[in-house]
Amino acid sequence: MITKVQKKSQIKVITGNAAAAIAAKLARPDVVAAYPITPQTEVIEQISQFHANGEMDCELITVEGENSAMNAVMAASLAGGRVFTATSSWGLVFMYDAILAAAGARAPIVMVNVNRETPGIIAVSSGQQDMISTRDAGWIFLIAEDCQEVLDLVLQAYRLAEDYDIQVPVMVHYDGFYLSYLSEGVDVPIQEDVDRFLSVLKTQPERTKLVPGGRLGCGSHGILGGYLELRHKHVSAMERAKAKFQQIDKEYEEIFGRSYGGLVEEYRMDDADVVLVGSGSMCGTIKSVIDEKREEGVKAGLLKMRMYRPFPSEAMIKALKGKKAIGVVDRSLCFGFKGGPIYTELKAFETKLGGSKMISFIDGIANTDITKINVATMIDTTCDLAAGKNVREVTWVSYPEAQEEGGL
Amino acid sequence: MTEKKKDNLTKVMDYLKHEDPFSKGVAFCPGCGLELLLRFIPQVMGNDIVITGTPSCSAPVLLGQNNQSWHTLSYFGTLMTGAAANATGLARYYRKAGIKNTVVCFNGDGTAADIGFGNLSGAAERNEPFIYICYDNEGYMNTGIQKSGTTPFGATTTTTPFGSASKGKNLRRMNLALKMAMHKIPYAATATLSDLDDLAKKLLKAKEAKKRGFAFLHVFAPCTTGWGFAPENTIEVCRRAVKTNYFPLWEAENGKIRMTKTVKKPKPVSTYTELIKKFAHLSQEDLQILQDDVDYEYCMLGGLSLLEGECRLPASLED
Repeated sequence: MITKVQKKSQIKVITGNAAAAIAAKLARPDVVAAYPITPQTEVIEQISQFHANGEMDCELITVEGENSAMNAVMAASLAGGRVFTATSSWGLVFMYDAILAAAGARAPIVMVNVNRETPGIIAVSSGQQDMISTRDAGWIFLIAEDCQEVLDLVLQAYRLAEDYDIQVPVMVHYDGFYLSYLSEGVDVPIQEDVDRFLSVLKTQPERTKLVPGGRLGCGSHGILGGYLELRHKHVSAMERAKAKFQQIDKEYEEIFGRSYGGLVEEYRMDDADVVLVGSGSMCGTIKSVIDEKREEGVKAGLLKMRMYRPFPSEAMIKALKGKKAIGVVDRSLCFGFKGGPIYTELKAFETKLGGSKMISFIDGIANTDITKINVATMIDTTCDLAAGKNVREVTWVSYPEAQEEGGL
Repeated sequence: MTEKKKDNLTKVMDYLKHEDPFSKGVAFCPGCGLELLLRFIPQVMGNDIVITGTPSCSAPVLLGQNNQSWHTLSYFGTLMTGAAANATGLARYYRKAGIKNTVVCFNGDGTAADIGFGNLSGAAERNEPFIYICYDNEGYMNTGIQKSGTTPFGATTTTTPFGSASKGKNLRRMNLALKMAMHKIPYAATATLSDLDDLAKKLLKAKEAKKRGFAFLHVFAPCTTGWGFAPENTIEVCRRAVKTNYFPLWEAENGKIRMTKTVKKPKPVSTYTELIKKFAHLSQEDLQILQDDVDYEYCMLGGLSLLEGECRLPASLED
């Protein structure tokens, strides 16, 4: 077991973006690609300032677009470097081809994606639609609830991405405009602790690296058996990532004193009859409404997804099994399906939940807030479902017109 | 006369200091200009280069299949959209890690002039420490001969076919090499396969210039299959491209443009086009448009190369 370092960490009041930048600095990346986009810009601005101050000894590439950011960090990563970049929304979409290539090449990149909408009408507001548009790329997706978790997840992401048994790129998501610009107290660890936490990677076998004169290539044509083998290995690594992340969360607690429960965080779940499933910044609001509802005698709980890819089905089934009713809150849409994306995916495991009923809530998109009133409505509706009342399968919480005649 | 030819040959061979890392038989068309270039580069620059390529004619041979490769070079098969950014990532990491390196980003005109130009321009602007070589076969040959930004006026491709309402490509080509020289990079040059000693010199100069930043080489590499000329004529096509000023050979060291081969009495462009089927449908009038465009580009180049004096670098950028 790793023993605790006695030196003190420091509480700083910083934004989620600053937390991401500081975490990246603490991880000592070799190469960082920087390109701005709202609401991520502050991340790369802070890193640029660290670099300018001589506090960050990395190659900083001020690329001319996000597509180049992803290409540059992919190559640097496969050459053997530790890399970092950050993006959001349209930037994420602009690097889409390279996101797929990086996953296929198993480049252990860590990237922050500050969630923002990506519809045809150019929405500058929070939403996980950008995340949903890349969910099948083959990356590991982690989602932070608050600024502290942004910092913690970025550090945990390096352990996961670069682990010899995993070697899959990791994207850390957090809600734009909410966490990106919200300042709150963050426990910033000291460099020695972070070095120690990441030093485990140095004890592992060295990953394959592209070096000059190395008679080695990457990006070959994969055909037939060769392609199948690599795809299957990738899928297997994604499966292994579940247990690995659980273990990393535990080791993180041993050094930094914070644990979130691994793949999912359970809040007042033990005796809960009705459960909301959520992710990201909405979880803070849900927790406080649950506390209030509990005082009224409503046995409500929250299942927070910290990992979205791989889909933590086992952990979710374990936590949700036997609950009377489940309401899944999505901050994005799943076109072609009525319910939200996480709802639709969890539906695949419905038969394993021991008769739990499920409904979908869509909220927090298009500049709307997931308010305490909205959350209370969701809990009430889920209670109605538990009581056997006839409730809609899908509710657009902030858009009652959707529930009018002719709606879903 | 015979003796002089022998001297020239010896001169070129002198540059080939390294083994050919490619298999004797590779999956290129007979007479492929790209193959000759691809084999030539490591023989001159060394086998310790890291070569990067994209989906293109070069891909089947450069990138290999599964665990099999056609050569022993270290290579990276990447995306056309981000080829120069990819090479940037490699070169920057090697610099950070103190690994001696020569990264050669090797792409066709489709990547260099069209879909990947944005990041090529970005890498040049940042003066990234690697060598970018564009082999120009004037179109998207691997997908079956479509028009690119360097396809010349009048040429037929499958997206600019000849028909009653079309002369072939009804637009003029861009001048990629001049555009790159305008980025104020340490070295930019054009080269082709009929002048191998010139090409070899430029490869070595690019390798040297790379120490100071970005080096760009635009190599004219005719495509026997896509253009319609006899495989044995590849070098002759290159030679005539130079002699008609269709593809002038020049270099720009720290911004100073200098002709590396001056054609005293340039031949009409028809002596070049007559070898190639993609121009066969052009009337005298159409050929004159192509001739005018060749003259236009040569005039631009002349204007840039004739001024006396040196382009002085800001003091902080001198080595």
